[in-house]
Amino acid sequence: MPHERIIALWLRVKALVHRAKLERDLDEELAFHLAMRAAKLGGGPAAHLAARRQFGNPARLRETCRELWTFAALDTLWQDLRYAVRTLAKTPAFTVVAVLSLALGIGANTALFSLADVMLLRALPVKNPQELVQFVRTHPDGAMMTNLPYSVYTSFRQDRSTLADVFAFWASDLALRSGGATDQATAHRISGGFFPALGVNALLGRTIAPEDDRPGAASRVAVLSHAFWSRRMGSDPAILGATVRLSDEAYTVVGVMPPGFFGVDRSKLPDLWIPLAAGPAAAQAWVLGRLKPGISAAQARVQLGPLFRQALEKELERAPSRDRQAFLSQKLLVNPAGQGTADLRWRFWKGPSTLKILLGLTGLVLLIACANLANLLMARAAARSREIAIRLALGAGRWRIVRQLLTESLLVSLSGGALGLLAAVSCHGAMLGFLIRDPQSAALDFRLDYRLPCVALALAMATALVFGLAPAIRATGAASAGALNGKSRQRGAAQIPLAKGVLAVQMALSLVLLVGAGLFARSLRNLGAADLGFARDRLLLADVSPSAKTPAARQQFWTRLMERLPQLPGVSSLALAGDAVFGNGGWNQSVWIERPGQPARETHVSENHVSAGFFAAAGIPVLAGREFGAQDRENAPPVALVNRSFARRFFGGDNAIGQRFGDRGPASSGRYTVVGVVGDAKYGTVRERMRPMVFHPLSQEEAMDSLVLHVRSAFPPAALAPSIRREIRALDSDVLITEVRTLPQEIRGQLRQDRMFATLAGFFALLALSLGAIGIYGMVAYRVAHRTAEIGVRMALGAQRSDVLWLIMRETCLLLAGGAVLGVPAALAAARLVKSLLFGLGPSDPLTIVCATGTLFAAGALAGFLPARRAASAEPALALRSD
Amino acid sequence: MGAQDKPGDLVQGTLDMLVLKTLHQGAMHGYAIAEFIQETSNHVLRVEEGALYPALHRLELRGLLASDWGVSENNRRAKYYQLTGAGRKQLAAESERWTLMTSAIALVMDTA
Repeated sequence: MPHERIIALWLRVKALVHRAKLERDLDEELAFHLAMRAAKLGGGPAAHLAARRQFGNPARLRETCRELWTFAALDTLWQDLRYAVRTLAKTPAFTVVAVLSLALGIGANTALFSLADVMLLRALPVKNPQELVQFVRTHPDGAMMTNLPYSVYTSFRQDRSTLADVFAFWASDLALRSGGATDQATAHRISGGFFPALGVNALLGRTIAPEDDRPGAASRVAVLSHAFWSRRMGSDPAILGATVRLSDEAYTVVGVMPPGFFGVDRSKLPDLWIPLAAGPAAAQAWVLGRLKPGISAAQARVQLGPLFRQALEKELERAPSRDRQAFLSQKLLVNPAGQGTADLRWRFWKGPSTLKILLGLTGLVLLIACANLANLLMARAAARSREIAIRLALGAGRWRIVRQLLTESLLVSLSGGALGLLAAVSCHGAMLGFLIRDPQSAALDFRLDYRLPCVALALAMATALVFGLAPAIRATGAASAGALNGKSRQRGAAQIPLAKGVLAVQMALSLVLLVGAGLFARSLRNLGAADLGFARDRLLLADVSPSAKTPAARQQFWTRLMERLPQLPGVSSLALAGDAVFGNGGWNQSVWIERPGQPARETHVSENHVSAGFFAAAGIPVLAGREFGAQDRENAPPVALVNRSFARRFFGGDNAIGQRFGDRGPASSGRYTVVGVVGDAKYGTVRERMRPMVFHPLSQEEAMDSLVLHVRSAFPPAALAPSIRREIRALDSDVLITEVRTLPQEIRGQLRQDRMFATLAGFFALLALSLGAIGIYGMVAYRVAHRTAEIGVRMALGAQRSDVLWLIMRETCLLLAGGAVLGVPAALAAARLVKSLLFGLGPSDPLTIVCATGTLFAAGALAGFLPARRAASAEPALALRSD
Repeated sequence: MGAQDKPGDLVQGTLDMLVLKTLHQGAMHGYAIAEFIQETSNHVLRVEEGALYPALHRLELRGLLASDWGVSENNRRAKYYQLTGAGRKQLAAESERWTLMTSAIALVMDTA
């Protein structure tokens, strides 16, 4: 028996493949039979007719045989599919709108899923990633910091009971000298335990071993990342043993890592790895470890607590000027790091974060697309009620028709899903560009994995089932007799309340998106136009690190730089500073302010070291006193400038000149004399509040090894960049010049996410509004078509065109009002969630809400007005005769 | 597939048996099978085309028959059916069952 089954299955599969041949064979076999019979009956037309009569119904026979040969279920599915394609092709407008709106909804969600997946969910490609933890600290004010004092690492190494492994690394940008040019290279300086703990092997050569990282006897070895090896070394297989010069030290290349390895920090792919002990003593590090089996993160936190505290106390001994209380109240956190370090997760998932807002946006879009689909399907089912009733009357099973309708919605959703998947895959780059400043350097693997199609498929199937089943059941359910005997009007009307409800919800969701788009757009405009306190136009910044080793040589470099650059055409003013005027925010510093007759007052401020001419170049006004000048030499009395906030808060307004403060403990409070007050400015971000800041002259400090060049140019500053680079290189061929940027570029970079939200929300809102308008248009047109006779009667009895217009428009207006009643509270609630991202306006900004609601009404009313006007301009006589 | 195994479906089962028996003498096309049964039974048994072809196809699907295209006596393309090994075995089993059955029925009928 099983043997027979196999033969039968095989024959059927063959028949499935050679379907046309099977049909031909059957026809030919039957035709042969008929011909033989006719010949036997004497030939001629009469005999043929007789043969046919005797034969019976050939179609039925063919049907029976065909059923024998094929898989019946598959066949009806095929039939349903072909029928669905045919009926969908007959209404291209419906199909295109439905498929595209779903493609948008599914595509947006799929793209977001893949973003979240690569940034947050995917496990690190290392040994047992689920065991990895990262140690971080929290400040009493709630801030989380991933950098720990290096002594935390050394004290954690003494632990024997909690950790199976502990390792540390620190990212540094080093000057890489090769082929006569000097470039910046990102090195991860790692402890010897790094590679063994991760359990990864090199592609070529070896990784860095614990022996390479012995303090005092470190070997200068380097392991290259695959990307760096192929980009900079041309994938040279003979690279092992070669020398690279990093910040003027020679390192021997001992290995190259495989392409998928990026370390533990997904957000930045290092160029190479070198031992920690090979460089200058590390002050801080990122610390990770592997927990011993059976130890939970919470247990580890408790058990390592004393070691953490001990390390902090050791730090305090080294730098006693710190705020002891605040420093010691820092807490240790043990975070799972199986998916990578907490950095990306923190930036994109904590609080009202980027990914959550994107999730909200795309979720809304999918909901709207689904509501739209449900509406379209309902309208379609209503329009086909007569056809369905006839089929039911002719004996079609209800389930058969439901299945048929479901096949249609499934086809629409799957096409939408497929299209959405394509869109998601192709817009990866763009989405990432919005989120991350430099996507090239992030180790985010965007290869399409099997889960992405699965997500798209699941979304599509769920949409089809949830939003296709109800209309299908409704369409086949209600007493179908009415549809046949000319009462289809009432039947159609029965569908209207639900359709209107769905439309109102759709409009409410659109309103949420409109309000969001308005808030983000207005916030973005406010951010772009915010007063930063300095002149942002035509300001060029560049980070410059000379190769000189001694302070004297560096001083000479800086002095000559300041002499040469002003001679370049286009340079109108020029200054150096330890930190950029905007973008970083200065260094945090504790200061003690001298108060006559009282102990010094301790406070935290930000500070920067600047050259003479800085305030002129940056465009910050000097409000009182003087700027730094030639008189502020190294051995002259130390001076400082403070900003207006500092002067107001600590010196009570305008008598700041001549006051004193210090930055080396309470006894130092007489160290600096304030010689001037400058205007307030924003130093870190557009969003920050004005805060106290102090400035010291560079000329009273030992020459620094890296400064930020500020150039105010007479023409667009990007054009000036090449000649500035050339001039600086002429002074020092090994100089490292990084991050040449203009101030507008810096600001644009900061507002990347704000722009993304404004753009996406605006785009989605527009689409949602269009879909809603199409829905309203369709519903009103349908209603009008079914009420033509009634309108004719009304007009014949004396109703004016405006009465008819109002009769129809009233319905649209009620629907829109319903949408607004639902939508405004929903939008207000949603806006509160993004409150912290708004700038210069509140989440319940009345103007935005009024404008959004107005836009919704305008679009909806226009969509309803077009068919209503047509109805109102109908000739009563014609209208009466219709239907 | 379960239809041909239904107990008591005597006509169906009988037609299958007659087809197998007819093909015992060699390959034949559908028309010839129908004619043969009709002629041999002295026109007592009339084979309906609506039953014959589904039966042939069913037997083929069960692996009891094999089919091939050939040329008929009047030079037309025709589909020829012939017994497979399984078909021969099935025929033997059915013949035995038939003999047993008819003799049993005859016994009952003769006694009464």
